Amino acid sequence: MGIVIAVISGKGGVGKTTTTANIGLGIAQNGKKCVVVDFDIGQRNLDMLLGLENRVVYDMVHVMDEGVSLKQALIKSKMDSNLSFLAASQTKDKSVLDSDKIYKLIEDLKAEFDFVILDAPAGIESGYEHTIEFADRALVVVNPEVSSIRDSDRAIGILDSKSKKVKDGQEVDKFLIINRIDPKMVQSGEMLNSEDILEILSIPLIGKIPEDKGIIDASNQGKPIILDANSKAGQAYKRVASRICGEKVDFVDVESESAGFMQKIKGMFL
Amino acid sequence: MFPWFGKKSSAKTAKDRLTIAIMSDRSNNSFPFIEDLKAEIIEVVKKYIGVKKVDIQKETLDGVEALSIDVQLEK
Repeated sequence: MGIVIAVISGKGGVGKTTTTANIGLGIAQNGKKCVVVDFDIGQRNLDMLLGLENRVVYDMVHVMDEGVSLKQALIKSKMDSNLSFLAASQTKDKSVLDSDKIYKLIEDLKAEFDFVILDAPAGIESGYEHTIEFADRALVVVNPEVSSIRDSDRAIGILDSKSKKVKDGQEVDKFLIINRIDPKMVQSGEMLNSEDILEILSIPLIGKIPEDKGIIDASNQGKPIILDANSKAGQAYKRVASRICGEKVDFVDVESESAGFMQKIKGMFL
Repeated sequence: MFPWFGKKSSAKTAKDRLTIAIMSDRSNNSFPFIEDLKAEIIEVVKKYIGVKKVDIQKETLDGVEALSIDVQLEK
């Protein structure tokens, strides 16, 4: 049976979908069968980031309501044959909010894949609770800024009270991804560093992703940045994917990388 | 602490503010039933005396968790 991982955040726009696309592809590159599912009904963009928008014929509502088989609806990525994609519904259909139907869909996916990655809506949106309901683990994506961190704590609170695993007396394992770190700003004391964020949220870290201009270019082309071996963000996503697959990968101090000499000196005092 | 750098780092300010904001969020959101509880308390007390509003806070003191319930009466 596969492992269900919800990619969540408090507010929107922190890089949840980018993270889902890269981690999904990274897991597939590790030789595991992986499906990424777009649950972000309001802002479905996962198809674009994976370059699959023209191949979508059926979405999850067709599978849940109209007897379309999973085989027909799943799209296999050309970037890696281990990676499949299931599209979000075009409309805000009510059945997307039906727990029993979502449960069956996810059970069927678990039977076929090693990892089922769910791109959740932001924690403040409706639909979030249904995405996290059947998750085994959650990747919490934050940016190093106050509103993102505060809202993510609320999203974690909902996860800890509404998920099925918690209601069954178990715990959903949560892991933190700090996205869009600007090393120079951290060095100069203008941006929260990862230790501070970990201390505030008190969940274990699984990845630190530096700000990378290449992300825009990657999404323009529909090719996740993990495919670019020279990209710092791509390398960071690769490490996260390996950690999810159970490998022990040392953390790279992305916060002090590329910081100038003067900033390092200054950093010693701040 | 280091006045020759001009100002306190804003990351430190962010950390301090977040720590307090999240602590207060957590204590207010820790019970999903709190709104229902408030409504029921108002109903019960109203049988005897006029109620203006009810506040419920979760508090932890020396490792003991408690609900502190404030009932504000009508004048």
